[in-house]
Amino acid sequence: MARDDTRARRWRAVLLTPVGLTAAVLLVAVAALAVLGPVLWGTSADAVDTGDVLAGPSPEHWAGTDNLGRDILARTLVATRLSMVLAVCAIVVAVSAGILLGAAPYLLGGRAGRLVAAGVNVAVAFPGLLLALFFAVVFGVGATGAVLAVGLAGAPVFARLTQTLVAQVAGRDYVSAARVAGVGRVRILLRHVLPNIAEPLVVNATIGAGSALLAFAGLSFLGLGVQSPAYDWGRLLYDGIGALYVNPAAALAPGVAVLLAGLAFNLFGESVAKGFGVPVLVGTPQPRVRRESTAVAADVASASEGGDDEAAADVVLEVRDLEVAFVTAGGTVRPVREVSFDVRRGEAVGVVGESGSGKSLTALAVSRLVGEDGSVRARRLRFLGHDLAAADSPAQRRMLGTSLAMVFQDPMTSFNPTRRIGRQLAEVATEHQGLGRADALARAVDRLDAVRIPDAGRRVRQYPHEFSGGMRQRAMIGMGLMGTPALVVADEPTTALDVTVQKQVLELLADVRAADDVALLLISHDVTVVAEVCDRVLVMYAGRIVEDLPASGLATRAQHPYTRALVAAVPHMDTDLDRPLATIPGRPVDPAEVPAGCAYAARCPLATARCRAEDPPLEQAADGSRVACWHAGEPLPDPVVRPADELVEAP
Amino acid sequence: MSELRFEDVTVRFGRTTAVDRVSLTVPAGTVVGLVGESGSGKSTLARAAVGLAHPESGSITLGGSPVPHRGARRPLQMVFQDPYSSLDPRMTIGDSIAEALPRDVDGVRGRRARREEVARLLELVHLEPHRARDLPARLSGGQRQRVALARALAGRPDVVIADEITSALDVSIQGAVLNLVRELQAELGLSMLFISHNLAVVRYVASRVAVMQGGRIVEEGPTAQVLGAPGHDYTRELLAAAPGRKPA
Repeated sequence: MARDDTRARRWRAVLLTPVGLTAAVLLVAVAALAVLGPVLWGTSADAVDTGDVLAGPSPEHWAGTDNLGRDILARTLVATRLSMVLAVCAIVVAVSAGILLGAAPYLLGGRAGRLVAAGVNVAVAFPGLLLALFFAVVFGVGATGAVLAVGLAGAPVFARLTQTLVAQVAGRDYVSAARVAGVGRVRILLRHVLPNIAEPLVVNATIGAGSALLAFAGLSFLGLGVQSPAYDWGRLLYDGIGALYVNPAAALAPGVAVLLAGLAFNLFGESVAKGFGVPVLVGTPQPRVRRESTAVAADVASASEGGDDEAAADVVLEVRDLEVAFVTAGGTVRPVREVSFDVRRGEAVGVVGESGSGKSLTALAVSRLVGEDGSVRARRLRFLGHDLAAADSPAQRRMLGTSLAMVFQDPMTSFNPTRRIGRQLAEVATEHQGLGRADALARAVDRLDAVRIPDAGRRVRQYPHEFSGGMRQRAMIGMGLMGTPALVVADEPTTALDVTVQKQVLELLADVRAADDVALLLISHDVTVVAEVCDRVLVMYAGRIVEDLPASGLATRAQHPYTRALVAAVPHMDTDLDRPLATIPGRPVDPAEVPAGCAYAARCPLATARCRAEDPPLEQAADGSRVACWHAGEPLPDPVVRPADELVEAP
Repeated sequence: MSELRFEDVTVRFGRTTAVDRVSLTVPAGTVVGLVGESGSGKSTLARAAVGLAHPESGSITLGGSPVPHRGARRPLQMVFQDPYSSLDPRMTIGDSIAEALPRDVDGVRGRRARREEVARLLELVHLEPHRARDLPARLSGGQRQRVALARALAGRPDVVIADEITSALDVSIQGAVLNLVRELQAELGLSMLFISHNLAVVRYVASRVAVMQGGRIVEEGPTAQVLGAPGHDYTRELLAAAPGRKPA
């Protein structure tokens, strides 16, 4: 199971850190001591020796003896069990009460729910120890009272945590779906919400156990906790302090025990929380993202060799044999392989493919934005004659900053939400063009005007959240125009936008191109958008370019069966309503498991034995278009409905 | 099967009016497309119908009586946009579907009968019955969306609301889901409110279309008529913006 694998891997990761390992070992040791302590040292801890009371450390009694001549070290070891049991009981009380209180607003809803939530908020404001003292007095002196006191004092924190986590999960679609399906609130809480918030709760409970241990020591020390003849660490501490000047070790031994056990709980909880990161509440939508985050290697290398096929003068971007690789636990993964293409001055090149095809990574590699964990290699990667694979230098940064513009998919996250739009645009000019603040801001206004943002003079003083999605995307393009770009790289620039806004943004990109002969590299999953905007289309599959053809020929002249299927699968305004849509059976190739031969063979109706054995090279035809297929252009079998074909979508 | 009818429905969030006196009918056995841009109130209207949003005024009826938001039987079901968040990651898909099965309705009683019903539903959406034991993480986006459809069908609904069910999917998978929607409609005579911002997709599955703008429905009619001879400026604007319509 994929989920179990990730979990095992995370546990390993937790235990492999020095802190995690130390904490785990310490915790196991404390637990073992709790079980074995009373068995091993029970008798010596209770052995009264009136001839040797209040003695200091000696070879027989390493930490000395108490006022009845009992061995303090043995008593400290034996006290582990009671101290731990009390701490665990208290944390169980705290978590249970916390979950009840925290889930109540969700179950009750409306006014009663808000009332409980307000009560919890007030309770959280009180210091925990104060609450513990209050409850200890209410419940009376003794172990049971102390457990209830420490437990209830910890409850508000857990109530607050539960409340937040429940609110998070309750907003998810699967909870809405269950509600629509007629599942009651209590059942939803038990089946959908609690299992999905268990991880952070358990981690916090572990950390809380450490604090509970400390709180007990405090209560017992004050005489409110465990009473004689029973004893826990706090009680021993209380007894030891009285004889501090006679035998400091009597107080030190239980003190060190509290410290070590508390540290064990706290550090273990912390390292688990760190290792597991943000609570895993949903599946990871794109395998590529997960792979990046688990990758470890960090080298950006180039194998730039001197050159064959010298580029033509009007080539803005030249890419030869580009490869992007990530090192993962399962080996090296190459989501982009053998990618070669040119972008000429003023040309619009589209890159299409399914998610995971490597199209976005190609754009990131060109813009030098592949993360530290990925390695980018290319036989040649040149932009305006500069080697992009060369080491980073201020001159190169300036060149990229002014000549290459990047537009991302999500206009919500591409601006810093805390800074004014104008300042963020101006930064490009002050950073790369050496303009003063006023001049830079004037240019920002001018550029916003150029991307048709009305009332630009007022708009530059606004924050990103005051812009609509389409306007933010236009501002992003405006930011690219602060310099004099020769190439705009746009990664799914209109996917998050409405069709009418999409049209405006695409038109704007077309105008920018026309005005200054700017080249465009447009990454999109939408074949229709690419066909409309671009001159040439690169079709990517499993990290490779499988076809390179003029955009005007997409519908009629495509040779590769994948390109043809991609075009046929998308309904357009003239699609025949009496026939089912073409579908591509199976699912895209996982970059970690690229098969031998042609990666598309498993889904291809034309595939033969040769396709499964040999990967077809990207061959150039007389008209300049390229295709990688052994059966390029062969007629496809009639797209019959294959009712069961999607069954073979193996994960 | 009975018709879903919105009458003068208004939904407000604070001071903003998300849905403004909308009247719309989904006749029995038809797919009605609802188009418009984000923020036009499409999804809010859908959520109001299934009880996830509360209308301030107006009525939403199913076969003449108010849509029940309590009790075991829910004749109105919904499929959500994102198949990655609409299935509980810790529950097998079989359990997710079984959860939506009505209790003690139509003889689906007992563990065995429920399991068989889940298998039947999975087959209906072209998934192998043994996948019932898989967690959602093992499924592709398209497969998950089909599970979500199966779950919606488990409640034996009179009407299904599909809220942008293909917009989070890859184009190669979108086609299969659209084919399935048409197939289910033809086989089961399903009524559906199909919400999408993609005109070409709506044109492909819906026989009637309603166009929404700023919380109001500005145009409604048979698909061929609305998209072929739009009567409202906004519909014309949407049509002009649809990609792939570049004058040659």
